[in-house]
Amino acid sequence: MGIFIVFCLLIGLIIGYNMPVLLPVIYAKYMSIAILAALDSVLGGIRAYMDKEFDNTIFISGFIINSLLAAGLAYLGDRLGVELYLAAIIVFGVRLFQNLGIIRRYLMKKY
Amino acid sequence: MRDKIPQVSIAIVCLVLGIMLALQFKATETYEASFLPSRLEELTQKLNVLTEERDTLAEETASLREKLSNVRETDEAMADLQEELHKANLAAGLVALKGPGVIITLNDSTRALQPGENPNALLVHERDIIMVINELKASGAEAISINDERIIAMSEVRCAGTMILVNWNKIGPPFTIKAIGNPDMLESGVLIKGGYFETLKYLGLQTSIQKEEEIEIPAFSRTIKFSFGQPVQYTETKEEK
Repeated sequence: MGIFIVFCLLIGLIIGYNMPVLLPVIYAKYMSIAILAALDSVLGGIRAYMDKEFDNTIFISGFIINSLLAAGLAYLGDRLGVELYLAAIIVFGVRLFQNLGIIRRYLMKKY
Repeated sequence: MRDKIPQVSIAIVCLVLGIMLALQFKATETYEASFLPSRLEELTQKLNVLTEERDTLAEETASLREKLSNVRETDEAMADLQEELHKANLAAGLVALKGPGVIITLNDSTRALQPGENPNALLVHERDIIMVINELKASGAEAISINDERIIAMSEVRCAGTMILVNWNKIGPPFTIKAIGNPDMLESGVLIKGGYFETLKYLGLQTSIQKEEEIEIPAFSRTIKFSFGQPVQYTETKEEK
């Protein structure tokens, strides 16, 4: 499972690097927030998979909507002059570490 | 089949995440890399420019001394006057020039306007052109023209609605800026790290710079009038040295 995920990530990276698209700098900030949300979704999905309570709909919708919402929130924050992206960073950052912790415990139990 | 679904969807999501990560890496990489200053190269170039300047100044001193002695002899005074006139015409931009240099083109962005975005963000403004020709001047350009309008000391580059005024002529995009000078020096001056040209590129404007073996820059085509200014009588003080 772990190797499988890393493999898919690698393929994605290779595709991304060879894409002839260059992200404009103004959008790079929103992209980084979206990536954080996406990373959180993936780790959440893996945790749920290990908990045996994986729900495909929740996972996919969470991935798409969380990313868009996070990027949209950051954009809205920029319009309003409030650094709302900090909220996204804190929330997703905390959840990321929680999920990582749970996954680590599962892996330690397993091996 | 049922327990394959999570794996497949995690795989797809990981793939998308990978693409996003790669795009982001690429964006930040190019951004940061372009701001790492290659100071050494810059300083070397500056040193070269200054050395060259010093040499030309020394030459000029020598030729001025020679002229001074010529004037004293009065025979060749007329010829010197002719030469001086020629030099003044060159400096004033009243003579068409040709030589090596660079051709820069600037055009409005082809990017579609984002909702809520200011349309000004996609256009080439007069300040962009001013910054670019300023950079060219700083890099040792000897003559500059914009869409074949020669830039002289009193030339304006001014916003006039949808057009730009240069020498009181309206010009519009695409803007072709020609400059005669050392092509390498001009190019590196314009493309300086963190410089204005880079900003224009990031804003999505269509920019290009091209080194040329030979370009031609027309002469200033209007008359230069002095209605108010009067030359102040200057006295020859150099002779006393």
